[in-house]
Amino acid sequence: MSTLIAHSSILIIAVTLATAFLTPLVGIASKRARNTLIVLALAFVAFLVVALARDVMLNQIHVYTLGAAAPDLTIPGGAIVPVRIILEVDGLSAFMGIVIAIVSLVAVIYSMSALKTETGQNGFYTLLLLMAAGMFGMVFTGDLFNLFVFLEITSISGAALIAFRTKFADSQEGGFKYIVVSAVASLMILFAIGLLYSQYNLLNIGALAATMEYTMLDRIALVILMSAFVMKLGGVPLHMWLSDTYSVAPASIPALLIVASQASLYALLRTSFTLYGVTLDQSVAGWIIIIVGLLSMFVGVTMAIRQTDITRLIAYNCVCESGFMLVGLGVGLAVLADPGALDAFGTMAMNGAVFHMINHALFEGLLFLVAGAIFYRIGTRDLNQMCGLGHTMKLTSVLFLLGALASAGIPPFNGFASKILIYESVYQFNPILTIIGILVSILTLAVFMKVFFSAFTGASLPRYRDVREVPRPMVAAMIVLAAGIIFFGLFPGLVLDWIVQPATDALVNQGVYIDAIMGAVP
Amino acid sequence: MSLLIEAGYEFWNPIIWLIAFAVLMALVFLFRKRGQAKYKKDTDQTRIFLCGEEVPEAEQRYVRGGNVYWGFFETLKEYYNGVVRPHTGVVNDYVIWFVAVTAISAIVLFIVELAR
Amino acid sequence: MIHSLPGNFPFVAAVVLLGIGLYILIFRRNLIKIVMGIAILGSSINLFLITLGYRIDGDAPIYTEVPSELMVLPVVQALTLTNIVIGVATSALILSLVIRIYRHTGTLDSVKSRRMKG
Repeated sequence: MSTLIAHSSILIIAVTLATAFLTPLVGIASKRARNTLIVLALAFVAFLVVALARDVMLNQIHVYTLGAAAPDLTIPGGAIVPVRIILEVDGLSAFMGIVIAIVSLVAVIYSMSALKTETGQNGFYTLLLLMAAGMFGMVFTGDLFNLFVFLEITSISGAALIAFRTKFADSQEGGFKYIVVSAVASLMILFAIGLLYSQYNLLNIGALAATMEYTMLDRIALVILMSAFVMKLGGVPLHMWLSDTYSVAPASIPALLIVASQASLYALLRTSFTLYGVTLDQSVAGWIIIIVGLLSMFVGVTMAIRQTDITRLIAYNCVCESGFMLVGLGVGLAVLADPGALDAFGTMAMNGAVFHMINHALFEGLLFLVAGAIFYRIGTRDLNQMCGLGHTMKLTSVLFLLGALASAGIPPFNGFASKILIYESVYQFNPILTIIGILVSILTLAVFMKVFFSAFTGASLPRYRDVREVPRPMVAAMIVLAAGIIFFGLFPGLVLDWIVQPATDALVNQGVYIDAIMGAVP
Repeated sequence: MSLLIEAGYEFWNPIIWLIAFAVLMALVFLFRKRGQAKYKKDTDQTRIFLCGEEVPEAEQRYVRGGNVYWGFFETLKEYYNGVVRPHTGVVNDYVIWFVAVTAISAIVLFIVELAR
Repeated sequence: MIHSLPGNFPFVAAVVLLGIGLYILIFRRNLIKIVMGIAILGSSINLFLITLGYRIDGDAPIYTEVPSELMVLPVVQALTLTNIVIGVATSALILSLVIRIYRHTGTLDSVKSRRMKG
């Protein structure tokens, strides 16, 4: 068991990749065997992620060197810098791993029922598992170029998944926009990595953080990295591609795309907190992130309230919720060098923002799954044509209401727990940010009440009279997410102590990350 | 492992919330029990009444989703014209925004650092 | 700065290619030209990475029967190979999507073929 835990980080990526490549072969033989293989593999990966998270919680960090004699032999004898690709899992990586594992398992169970009658399913599941493997690689790696490679894997498979339904024109357009935006962002990231390599001859994040001097080229690299990651995660004013791409993806893919943008947010945090740490200009970089977050909150929700397409509306709501996370993290970054302020409200702001990451994946995933269920039954996403669906789809409407109230931050759901942590702490930094945040939450409630009252309540139309509830696997997937929402909302203290606080500690203490790599001299 | 959260002005104890919820649900059921139980579905008692006028059929009478919140959009018409115009949906504009944001944040970072 | 320009010419060429790639992506509306712009952007990054590793009078980084101990950096060559492969995969995917967009909308203009806005 202990060897399993010692190798768990590479096993997680390897099992997902191996299953991705086995899927077409098994799928040619039998569909049922393929589905069983995928669910079993993802369940095994989820078990490994939980074991890894427990190990990280006990030992603060977990290092794995690919190809070395022992997993923690980062600097071999006779060398002064780390050699080989090193996977470094700290609290934040384990947290993101849990999010990815939960959402991929739910997404696969949902897709198995939603895409039952479509062709090309082997390719779909291969791409889905590739995307999950890419996201796992992105959050577990401790090497900048490896981060770039896994980011490209995630983007390419994500774009192919968005454009999966080739009979719809808007899916192709969405896939095209996603891959162009991702390609530009990734190439700029590689340019910045080249700039950093040219000065220090190192690609390892921990080693770079130990030897970083904040020269002019480092500043340019920081700006390019931050901009590219903000574009990948969908912060205003670089958010316009998000609603075009998330709204046209089939079945449960938008939930996975949300987790991909969270992985880009993770990469942004790695760059600003761990790679640059206290060497960068905290107040300026922090304020840039806060301003991006404020704009995202406000523009996201005001654009959401005027949409007439249900998935575009939920996609703009994603932009709004990313704004909340960016505000919390920007406040944490701005006070990183000030230990008094950090104790008073900095860690609380970052706790709220990191907690909001998992809450966002849960309730936004639930909302997209409900929208997918509606599309599965009535074949349209237009709000003008939906009325009175709640008469026959009772469970779906209750689940939509749950996701909507969680998104608006109403107790006792999980959105309330994370948002009140953000409000409380950001108020002590600057009261105006909290006021704008509360106003935006009220507008979010208005957005979802519009959808609920026009689509689910109202007169029951004759053409929707025989619309039944969606098949049971889809309902089961939605209920898993809803149970997570209710559990995280009722017992937020548990979540904070077990998975959120280690993540925040890992971000604030850059030294632990560096020592795990550089301190391991044999 | 704490179920209690107390920070600033916030207080959260799930047990107290569950007890309050149970009490409120009991009150709601009490009120429902005191209501009238004798009405028959699908008779004239449950039909829509518009002062004796003819009720149009469901297809013509439901409020479409795009028309909700009309007053809100009418008041904020100038703001919306300003905000919707950059959302063109053309791929070239996405790259322009990326280059512009990178340039502006670089300038801001360097000017603040020179000013110090 | 002018007298070190001949030695730094590859860097200047890489940045000029980066500028050309971004110019194509911003100002050209034909979808195929956008794909070419992304390819040129990728080539500029590859050129930048290879040039980073060059050492004057350096040999190929192979240790067997090496004439001298001065070699060019091998790590950037590995990064460039990986980026070339990623570029191939990206170009293949984008071009197939462009073919599908043309079949659905009948035009290759990025403004005329856009169906979603706002």
